[in-house]
Amino acid sequence: MEQQLSQIKQDAIAAIKAATSLSELSEQRVKYLGKKGSLTAILRGMGKLAPEDRPRVGQLVNDVRKELETSLDDKQAALKANELANRLSTEKIDVTLPGRHHEIGHLHPLTLTLNKIKGIFKSMGYSIAEGPQIETDYFNFEALNLPKDHPARDMQDSFYITEDILMRTQTSPVQARTMQAHDPNSPIRIIAPGRVFRRDDYDATHSPMFTQVEGLCIDKDISFSDLKGTLTSAMRQLFSDDLELRFRPSFFPFTEPSAEVDITCVMCHGKGCRVCKGTGWLEILGSGMVHPHVLEMSGYDPKKVSGFAFGLGVERIAMLSYGIEDLRLFFDNDIRFLKQF
Amino acid sequence: MQVSIKWLKDYIDFKETPEKLADMLTMAGVPVENIIDPGAGLEKVITGRIEELKPHENSDHLQICTMNVGLPENIIIVTGAQNVAQGQIVPVAMIGAHLPNGMKISKGKLRGVMSYGMLCSAQELKLDLEALPDKQKTGIYILPADTPVGVPVKDLLGLNDVILEFELTANRSDCFSVFGLVREIAALTGNTPKWPAITLEENSSDKINDLLSIEIKDADLCPRFSCRMLKNVKIGPSPEWMQQRLEGAGIRAINNVVDVTNFVMIEMGQPLHAYDYDAISGHKLIARRSIEGELLHTLDDTSRKAKKDMLVIADTEKAAGLAGIMGGFETEITDKTTTVVLEAAKFYGACIRRTARSCGLASEASGRFERGTDIENTIRALDRAAQLLVQMNAGTVVKGVLDVYPEKKKPTTVDFTVEAVNRHLGTALDKQTMLNILAKLEIKAEEKNNVITAHIPSWRGDITCMQDISEEVSRIYGFDKITSTLPSGLALQGKQSEKQTFVDKIKDIMVGLGLCETVSFSFTHPSLFDKLNVPADHTIRKAIPIMNPLTDEYPLVRTCLLTSVMENLTRNFSRKNNDIKIFEVGTTFLPKALPVTELPDEHLKVAGAIAGRRNPVGWNEDNASVDFYDAKGIVEELLKNLSISRYKVEAGEHFAMHPGKTALFKKGRDTIFTVGELHPSAAAAFAINKPVYIFSADIDTLIKYAAKTIKSKPLPKYPATTRDLAIIIDTSVDAASIEKTITKSAGQYLISLDLFDVYEGKQIDAHKKSLAFSLTFQANEKTLTDAEIDAAFKNIVTALQKNYDAALRA
Repeated sequence: MEQQLSQIKQDAIAAIKAATSLSELSEQRVKYLGKKGSLTAILRGMGKLAPEDRPRVGQLVNDVRKELETSLDDKQAALKANELANRLSTEKIDVTLPGRHHEIGHLHPLTLTLNKIKGIFKSMGYSIAEGPQIETDYFNFEALNLPKDHPARDMQDSFYITEDILMRTQTSPVQARTMQAHDPNSPIRIIAPGRVFRRDDYDATHSPMFTQVEGLCIDKDISFSDLKGTLTSAMRQLFSDDLELRFRPSFFPFTEPSAEVDITCVMCHGKGCRVCKGTGWLEILGSGMVHPHVLEMSGYDPKKVSGFAFGLGVERIAMLSYGIEDLRLFFDNDIRFLKQF
Repeated sequence: MQVSIKWLKDYIDFKETPEKLADMLTMAGVPVENIIDPGAGLEKVITGRIEELKPHENSDHLQICTMNVGLPENIIIVTGAQNVAQGQIVPVAMIGAHLPNGMKISKGKLRGVMSYGMLCSAQELKLDLEALPDKQKTGIYILPADTPVGVPVKDLLGLNDVILEFELTANRSDCFSVFGLVREIAALTGNTPKWPAITLEENSSDKINDLLSIEIKDADLCPRFSCRMLKNVKIGPSPEWMQQRLEGAGIRAINNVVDVTNFVMIEMGQPLHAYDYDAISGHKLIARRSIEGELLHTLDDTSRKAKKDMLVIADTEKAAGLAGIMGGFETEITDKTTTVVLEAAKFYGACIRRTARSCGLASEASGRFERGTDIENTIRALDRAAQLLVQMNAGTVVKGVLDVYPEKKKPTTVDFTVEAVNRHLGTALDKQTMLNILAKLEIKAEEKNNVITAHIPSWRGDITCMQDISEEVSRIYGFDKITSTLPSGLALQGKQSEKQTFVDKIKDIMVGLGLCETVSFSFTHPSLFDKLNVPADHTIRKAIPIMNPLTDEYPLVRTCLLTSVMENLTRNFSRKNNDIKIFEVGTTFLPKALPVTELPDEHLKVAGAIAGRRNPVGWNEDNASVDFYDAKGIVEELLKNLSISRYKVEAGEHFAMHPGKTALFKKGRDTIFTVGELHPSAAAAFAINKPVYIFSADIDTLIKYAAKTIKSKPLPKYPATTRDLAIIIDTSVDAASIEKTITKSAGQYLISLDLFDVYEGKQIDAHKKSLAFSLTFQANEKTLTDAEIDAAFKNIVTALQKNYDAALRA
């Protein structure tokens, strides 16, 4: 019997070794370890042995069984690994083919730029105000210290609807509207983004319609140095931390003193290039301390409060940010342009 | 305003280069726009005499010149010019010269002969060709025979003066003069001006009172009117130095009298006008309002009809000229003039501005009057002009001045405190610093009880309040020296309105759905209404006309966003951009009435269009085009994400859309969204030959129905069961009706209903269609039994059979 056992073991190991597929291996498992398998048959024949031999032979059979099971499991693992390797080697796709696209759309570059500006000023405590695009002469000019026939009106050639109603030439009328809607002398921090209209020829740098952001900050003891600090911080957030600003005295009827603000050219970092016409500076916005007449006309007392205001052109900032050379691209709406943002 | 450095240096010394000076002035609020150097590029051009001229052996047109250029040895220059001759003095560009036209001169061989320079033409020197006689316009520029050799041409031709071109702001009328600029330079450099002494000998025996009278009829438009007279006037050219100064200021010399009036205007900022005394009827000048329709013969020999409220200077018979803008033809100075009346006046700026604009006449003089001249300056200006004319022996000065100045202007004073200025600027300047700055600007100041009273000079009409003082102090002190701070005070929350947030959300959703945002002009043209099928009486046609449109292209303010969408679409199609998904959020303008009497209603709209391929081109994509349901899907998805639900969709009509392919999204009686295929006739009018789907909505209406907050529901605890339902119905029955019946009859456990198949064709009778729905049932409190679901399902089927004669599809 022991000899028989040894023979079975030898045969089984050889057969397991020779198996080339999982199904073949499975057959061998049944053949030796199955209900009708050779090893099982021996186990069944144990009854015929002398009782004192049974534990020893039983132990032997179990050892062989364990050995065979291990052998089968090992072989099975090897065959599985082999099979996977075979499958993987045939399942190859061309990963260089383009993926499947679910194209999303694109916000207009002016919206993107405006969103950035809004975000910066909101974080500095400025709320977003709005006003009508068709305005009265009063709000567009007079309430801003620009009486009829003021020569500064020449700077802004307007589209008129009637003698007294026009397409607003600036977002500044929102200043007066906001002040008049507030309690006199209460603090204000707003920006007013929106479309404005001027009778300018349509070319690479001019458009009869463009986008402006007006800013207004009014409180006790607001000073010109606050204006400098606020705009410096905002422009650095918009362009870069190392941006330099230059404040040049200028004239706007609604501010006193007034300043044009230049930034170091974002193209050449101040070295001088085509974009900044060799000066190293780019004119970016107009600003100033709110003129006492403007405060008074809207019910604020210039003896009690002061403020600053500024206005910037969104197209100009978008052109600088994205390197756009022709203003007309914004309103042309060519899909090939829009998809770049 | 432009002026040469030499003219400035006549009255003040400074060491700064023109570039440095320009920078200083710009940073003090007197912006220099351009620095013009007429001699730029002529640094190595000198005079030379042609000592010998001989033909080139190997050329029939070249000549070889031996040139004396003032050097120890003569140089050889080969020239192709034909107007040269031995002994002539000509401009020579030496080796290394870089001429204004960009040409660089180097030595070179011309047909075997070495040439060491180039002879120059007027054009190559960038001279003003128009000012030259014809024969000097072409060929080498031949200089006078007595010209020394070896002299820089720049100096010889007066091209060594650099010109500053100013872009002055509207408030600084005082800087529209050399004197004003000199004052600024004095304040910035600390140097002292050397004002010319204005002294005058009235060397005629006649008295002006005996010869001329003047009158102001309308003092609101002409608050001061002053005159001087000169007799025995000899009209001729003005001296060379004056012509050069004027040329630097961009003014061409005409004759001594006119040149002097221009010179004084540029120098002192006071425009002058000269009349031929003998042509003044009644020997009287009257400043008065024009009479509507009155004829004016102006010195450009044009007959003009005056409008009312213009200011004219008239004699006893007629209006002789437009005050401050253009003189009269009859009283103009001519070669025959012997007696001259000089006028210096103050005119009301707004009136001059209005008149100049309505006549299309803007001049150096009118620009100065518009901005405001110094009312105290008239007599000085007349004296200066008379002095200059006497100096050049152009005439004798009649005794006395006529001056009508009905209401003397009170001097302006401004009270301020050092603290107030510092608080306005955010500075800590001491009193002395402020007073020093004001003193440099000739603003006298005195202090009493901490309040400083500033006496504002008559030429600084722009200074009226403390804030103006703070500007003067800060611009001279230097804006760059003021520190940067951030506002203190109450912290304010940066907010935006619900509507602004809603618009941001619309844009984000649209972008997520694959659409690109457009931004279009707020203008439109009536032809777009025709193309878009807008009915004749529709409010959209009642667009507001612009009084002064830029071009014929856009005479109206837009009333409809779809016109803009169509323009963008067709522009893209014309560029072969065929696959388009665009949207725009923009304002439309509807007048309350036409003609407009009050501000119009502004409506914020969203609209868009899709056309072309549904998916991007790809090896694994089909090439299918978008259809109605793509457009509708965009709207549905937008509404879902805007938290707008429980709307009805029905077939409807829109002028721009295909009548059978238009869906209206409705909430009660409001149409919240319209979507459809572009009407074929509109498509044809826009020359579009493929289907386009458009949509449009009013944003305020959408906001009205959008849930303000999102309330989350807990996830269900019990499983859901899905059943499919396929029915056959008449093709005329719409899906919405079936869905409504299912929802109504299903009972409380139906939680969703998805139409997953629509079929017409084989296996189904004609005029019938099959709809297949996936129904999901679920309860919050228990697992539903088959029996419960069967019951619900049966209810649905019964209702469908009853209402629509629906049959279950096997």
